Amino acid sequence: MRRIRWVVAALVLSAGVAHADAENPAAHGKATYGLAGCGLGSMVFGDQKGAIQILAATTNGTFGSQTFGISSGTSNCVEAGSNRQGARTFIEGNREALAKDAARGSGETITTLSAMAGCKDAKAVGATLQKRFAQLFPGEKTPVEQVSQNVIKELRADSSLACQKIG
Amino acid sequence: MRPARAALLALAFSAPAFALAGEAEPDPTYLPELLAAARSKSLSEDRAWLRLGHWRKRLLGGWESEAGGPGLFLSPQGKRDPAAELEATLTGFFAPGHGAPEGVKLADPSLEHPQCRFPARFAWLAAAVPIDLARLPPRSCPRFEAFWRRVSARSATLIFSSYYLNNPASAFGHTFLRLGKEEVAKGGERLDLIDQAVDFAAVTDTSNAVLYAFEGLFGLFRGEFSARPYFYKVREYADYESRDLWEYELSLDQRQLAMLVGHLWELGQTWFDYYYVTENCSYYVLAVLEAADSKLELLSHLGPATLPADSVKALFRNPGLVRAVRFRASARTQLEARTAGLSGAELDAVQRLAEGGDPSGLDAMSTDERVRVVDAALDLVDVRHGRDIVTGADPAADVLRQSLLERRSAIAVASPPLAIPPPSAGGPERGHGSVRIGLGAATSREDGSVLFAEGRLALHDLADPPAGFSPRTQIEFFKLRLSLADRRRALRLEEASLVEVTSLNRIDRFERRISWKMRVGATRVVDDGCNGCVAGMFAVGGGPALVSDGGALSAALTADVDLLAAPDLRGLSGSGVRPGVGPGLLLRLLGGERAALVGTGSWRWLPLASPSTSYELGVEARLHLGALSLAARWRKAPRLEEIGVVLLLYGG
Repeated sequence: MRRIRWVVAALVLSAGVAHADAENPAAHGKATYGLAGCGLGSMVFGDQKGAIQILAATTNGTFGSQTFGISSGTSNCVEAGSNRQGARTFIEGNREALAKDAARGSGETITTLSAMAGCKDAKAVGATLQKRFAQLFPGEKTPVEQVSQNVIKELRADSSLACQKIG
Repeated sequence: MRPARAALLALAFSAPAFALAGEAEPDPTYLPELLAAARSKSLSEDRAWLRLGHWRKRLLGGWESEAGGPGLFLSPQGKRDPAAELEATLTGFFAPGHGAPEGVKLADPSLEHPQCRFPARFAWLAAAVPIDLARLPPRSCPRFEAFWRRVSARSATLIFSSYYLNNPASAFGHTFLRLGKEEVAKGGERLDLIDQAVDFAAVTDTSNAVLYAFEGLFGLFRGEFSARPYFYKVREYADYESRDLWEYELSLDQRQLAMLVGHLWELGQTWFDYYYVTENCSYYVLAVLEAADSKLELLSHLGPATLPADSVKALFRNPGLVRAVRFRASARTQLEARTAGLSGAELDAVQRLAEGGDPSGLDAMSTDERVRVVDAALDLVDVRHGRDIVTGADPAADVLRQSLLERRSAIAVASPPLAIPPPSAGGPERGHGSVRIGLGAATSREDGSVLFAEGRLALHDLADPPAGFSPRTQIEFFKLRLSLADRRRALRLEEASLVEVTSLNRIDRFERRISWKMRVGATRVVDDGCNGCVAGMFAVGGGPALVSDGGALSAALTADVDLLAAPDLRGLSGSGVRPGVGPGLLLRLLGGERAALVGTGSWRWLPLASPSTSYELGVEARLHLGALSLAARWRKAPRLEEIGVVLLLYGG
């Protein structure tokens, strides 16, 4: 009985793969930008070919599990504490979502970053990020560590924001 | 001694005060006393101990731990002998030396002091034996301390991520844990993103899709626990896979949380064989919760297959375990919320912006309108291209997104927060049982009165109660229908399906995905192709579907191809194989959560076969009354016309 269930699941898995793969021709693309820092390109997607990416959603086989092992210690990207390193990890891992919230002047990533950095007022942080958007968040071609460096520099430089934990 | 170890021990102890002797050497004469005490209390048979080692009863007696690697055992017999492991553990606690320093990756778990390898065992034994910490001083454990600090768990939440659009295998969902720091922003907003997400996943080592499926099914992958900032999970699931996240906050107290964190640390030394159907992510998440709190009964509520939705239901079988339920909307759900209130002209502008155009009416809009339109266009671009932008696969989409972002940032107004209520269908805990059996009766033109018995192992069809399931996905395994006709006096197979899947996708101004269906099984031929023979069947179809606002009415028109095979079948050029092509129609009307009406129709051209065409029509109406439903069915085909009623029971 068990074996039959596996066969069935295999059929469904392959159905999902075949269809999902056909649906997403870009799935076979490789990441072309530099994979460093704590950005999603390296931490989440890695170098997966399209079909495996879809299947990975089913077994939730993660390619980043070496970095995120329980006994990994405090190496890069495994935690986001309320300090400068944590803020960098957060900015890099949420870069695209933060860019969108920054363009909007508000959002969960701004509230979170503001709290991590110990800033006085998340609304003020949002307004600043929105005003300086084009300088802080250029497109994907800019490496993610440069983005996090620039954002941190901006938050530190603006004394009216009073971001105490990254000062 | 550092805070983490003190906390773990203090919380594990019921005694209020004990001497924490720091780095003094243990009293070697104390070990035999502890071993004797443990033996006399049969602690190795205690449920809490067995759960900490993941020992399960073997079929023919004895124990075997599910842990694959040697790292979870101090005794060479540890995998099969909980008593030997308990004694080796107590002995190991007396080992000389200190906990390994932080920041160094250990080549082997054995390089770490046993007290530091097994903090949860130490805490439990300290309370259960009990252990006088003046005579067995706890070592400081820098590496465990660092993990404890990293996690800073003040709460534990089980997260269920729902299906991945168009991938039916993910219709079963996925579960993992979030250990909450319970940090709150000045304005009261929860800061969940910086919590740690702990999940159990297969470590995959192949890039071949077939091998991947095979290894996942037959336990040839190793599964490991990992911990990462929760925001990685939110980005991966909610943003790039458009999966909603349901969060079930658990009411574990401080002691249980400490045991959970300590036990997760212990499991970091080992792996478990990963079986897609049974010992999967959900199984081990529940196993770990059971180890943290020995009063919980979670795994016993699972059926032979571990469905993630059933693991969520298992939580609710423990009264008071779930403290709160929260919902985090996927990118797709957020987009739907943003576009819900927009006018036709505004939606046109959204469409044009998301395609890189420059809508003329935008400047004429008020600031608030412009904000709403650009915000919606940004979400639409992310739903369509988000993943490709992040992986670098689509630079043109990145340019488009960037220009839209800059357009938005030029409007110096902060977007108002988007409040998204959870879907009315609810979370997986509201879903009907996955096993369904039915008994029915019908009158048939050919066979007179007929009795039916039917059954289905998993999971959900389009007419089943919609609560807790994705609204337009049917995925079924192992469906069977047998009939007993008055005139024939023999039990016959009417329908069988190994797997049957239908995925309906609405086509609207933003979505262009087609709907599709697939079935593998067997069916009784209901036209003149043979004399009521049972034929193996493989069928696929695809086409556009329309869905009304609110989702009550769905209609799909598909182009179908099927293949039937039976020895007696008058198929292609006289062979037993009969391909057919033709249109198919599917209509579904839902009456809230209580009623459903599904109509299907198909017409087939059967090339070079006899007969050369065939058709089939069917209508089913269902009324849901709790754990049972009442169905009325009508079917018509060249050699069939029947109408009847069925009583359906859901379980499991």
